[in-house]
Amino acid sequence: MKIMINLTTHKKNQLFIKTLKGAGYLTLIILTLFLFTLIFNSFLSLKTISLSFLFNTNWQPNTGNFGAAPFIIGTLFTSILALLISIPFSLSISIYIGYFLKNKKRKNTLETLMDLLAGIPSVIYGFWGLMVLVPIIIKLQTTLGIIPYGVGILAASLILSLMIIPYSVTLGKDVINLVPTDLVEAAIGLGATPYEVIKHIAIPYSLSGLFAGHLMAFGRAISETMAVTMVIGNRNFIPKSIMDPANTLASVIANEFGEASAPLHISSLIELGLILLIITTIINIIGKIIVKAYTIET
Amino acid sequence: MKLNKTNLEKRLLKNKIFYETIKIFSYALLIPLALILFYIIKNGIAYLNLDFFIKMPAPVGETGGGALSAIIGSFLIVGLSGLIAIPLGMLIGVFLAEFKEHKINNLTRLAVETLQGIPSIIYGIVAYAWFVMPFGKFSGISASIALALMMLPMVAKATEESLKMIPYTLKEASYALGANYYTTIKKVILPSCQKGITSGVLIGISRILGETAPLLFTAFGNAFLNFNMAKPINALPLLIYNYASSPYQEWHQIAWASSLFLIIIVLGLSIISKNVIK
Amino acid sequence: MTNETILSIEKLNISVKKNKIIKNLSLSFYKNKVTAIMGPSGCGKTTLIRSLNRMHDLDKSFKVKGNISFGNTNLLKADPILVRQQIGMVFQRPNPFPNMSIYENVLAGYILNGIKLSKEEKDNIVDINLKKVGLYDEVSDNIHRKGSHLSGGQQQRLCIARTLAMKPKVLLLDEPTSALDPKATTRIENLINELKNEVSIIMVTHNIEQASRVSDYTAFLYLGDLIEYDTTETIFTVPKDKRTEEYLSRKYG
Repeated sequence: MKIMINLTTHKKNQLFIKTLKGAGYLTLIILTLFLFTLIFNSFLSLKTISLSFLFNTNWQPNTGNFGAAPFIIGTLFTSILALLISIPFSLSISIYIGYFLKNKKRKNTLETLMDLLAGIPSVIYGFWGLMVLVPIIIKLQTTLGIIPYGVGILAASLILSLMIIPYSVTLGKDVINLVPTDLVEAAIGLGATPYEVIKHIAIPYSLSGLFAGHLMAFGRAISETMAVTMVIGNRNFIPKSIMDPANTLASVIANEFGEASAPLHISSLIELGLILLIITTIINIIGKIIVKAYTIET
Repeated sequence: MKLNKTNLEKRLLKNKIFYETIKIFSYALLIPLALILFYIIKNGIAYLNLDFFIKMPAPVGETGGGALSAIIGSFLIVGLSGLIAIPLGMLIGVFLAEFKEHKINNLTRLAVETLQGIPSIIYGIVAYAWFVMPFGKFSGISASIALALMMLPMVAKATEESLKMIPYTLKEASYALGANYYTTIKKVILPSCQKGITSGVLIGISRILGETAPLLFTAFGNAFLNFNMAKPINALPLLIYNYASSPYQEWHQIAWASSLFLIIIVLGLSIISKNVIK
Repeated sequence: MTNETILSIEKLNISVKKNKIIKNLSLSFYKNKVTAIMGPSGCGKTTLIRSLNRMHDLDKSFKVKGNISFGNTNLLKADPILVRQQIGMVFQRPNPFPNMSIYENVLAGYILNGIKLSKEEKDNIVDINLKKVGLYDEVSDNIHRKGSHLSGGQQQRLCIARTLAMKPKVLLLDEPTSALDPKATTRIENLINELKNEVSIIMVTHNIEQASRVSDYTAFLYLGDLIEYDTTETIFTVPKDKRTEEYLSRKYG
């Protein structure tokens, strides 16, 4: 009887260990299948359109013309603009929390602010943007005497900048906080003001970390879908100014995938997804390499 | 002391300006946040009543109505995602933390991190290719798979991180009492990581509850009340997206109320998850 | 032999919350002398030396009362930045700025304070101060490289050069050799001896032999009180107080 019990628990144990290893392999299988699915389904587009897909500036599904250039440019345009708008805020908060705020209460206020901004679902940002921000931009455009689209690059970048600030701050405040007290004290001991300590010591010291934080925030901006889809105006042309409606890689997929029926159209949209995945993965990998080098160093 | 005083005054002024500027930039973000919350509360509160929870959306032209189908759909989809992602994520997390020497350990960690960085819309495309294309119809199940894949890395990471915190002595103590590996993990290690894992799970749920992009071509939305996960089904974020882009005032109001409801749950969950760790 | 006073502390009280760290301390430091501050851990010696160039300002919980006269200025009332330019400090652990080259590290005080210098002035300051600390020959080949490859002792001498470059009247050393090996320690001790002709030195040390080797005067602190202050020779040969005697014979550390 006793031996029997031991045997079953032994079996259970072996099974458990196998299950754990199985879960590890399953993760690899899922990711492989994931990538395979994307590549397999963009095969038609890859084969038919080949490399010119990247450079063709025309996207007209009804005439069978598929070029990714408007969306690549639209994505970079909105994301870079969003990043530029966000930098003064993210740097300020990182420095304010990481260097100045020893006071727990105020630090908590700002950290909660970041959590809230990061926690609001994308679709709600988009909805709010459409209902509140876009009418304001329409007024602005009317006053300026340009076509009052309202929706477009500007609206998308403004919303995006709000959404990505918490991502740069998460890393930014930590790397500023990690500047060794030794160095800060040495600089202060030489007569430097806090501004001079930050400019000459803290920022140069944490530069790679700050860069990585903003790079990953940039990656977020590129991959963000709903908020952008709702306020960017969904127009498949290369935008010429920040007031123009446009489309990003993610927003054109969100906008057209549900209605696409032509196989080449579907396949081209999936290839856009593949491009999006490649760009964001490269950005994430670079960011993670910098962070890893950083944590080893300090 | 013979130092140049004017220079000092200039430097101190510069410092003051710098400090005040970063302070202003930091607190300036309260304004858009307040505006977002203000509009959602102002426009949503009036419609977040009993009808919102028990009635279906009113047809075009009629006032009133609720978001019953979307609420039910969201809970069904997220519930099924959790059923898949929580146990599987925990297993992966235990594997990552425990089998450090295993030949695929680092590769698995890389896979988990890669999954975590994949844009949400792409989960939608893949779930579409896996479950919508072969069966020829949109379904709640395909949406659950997409969201489960998104949640998986979060649960796995939270589990791995919590397990790393457990001192080795605890495991030794368990072995010393004659427990085998399975019992040690199940009865000693995992219960001691309960807080960290729970918090990771809650954050994961709050994330996927608000996700919209992966649902667009999986759950798709449904104008009717539906409990069948094999069919197209509505969800709160889908409702907000569809109603937001509609021209009807009444639909906008339901979308505001849904936004308010969603924000309360999502932020509530993240607050709870923070307190769990404390 | 009369000594000129450079810095004089009158009725200094320092407390954190309800803990009194320095109790009603009065003491004068002499020009071109090396004064060692000694005492068991927790006696307040680091707090005392940090208050001399207002480093305690960094922690708002420190409450300081009293007077520290430097010429006819009360350092506790003056602008901390001016104080720190006159009274330099070298810390326990060598802390050259890792983002700056050796050359820039020597000039760090000028860079940080936004003082513009011509190329010749810069070269001159760097040469003189590296020579002073005996680093000139050791690093002259890679003066524009980062200082991180230097040994601990070299790094600490670079930090001393960086502080000297600002031409301070007083040099504060907070256990400057506690992180260094014996050989590097000897070099720093010799350096302290050479430097006292141009700057008054106040150093905190844990190391009783070091105090006896390099200092002219020694102050012995115990739980925030100044127990004894005299020439090092007197303190080490005929201490007046029993606690000093016990400390010197290592009854407590």
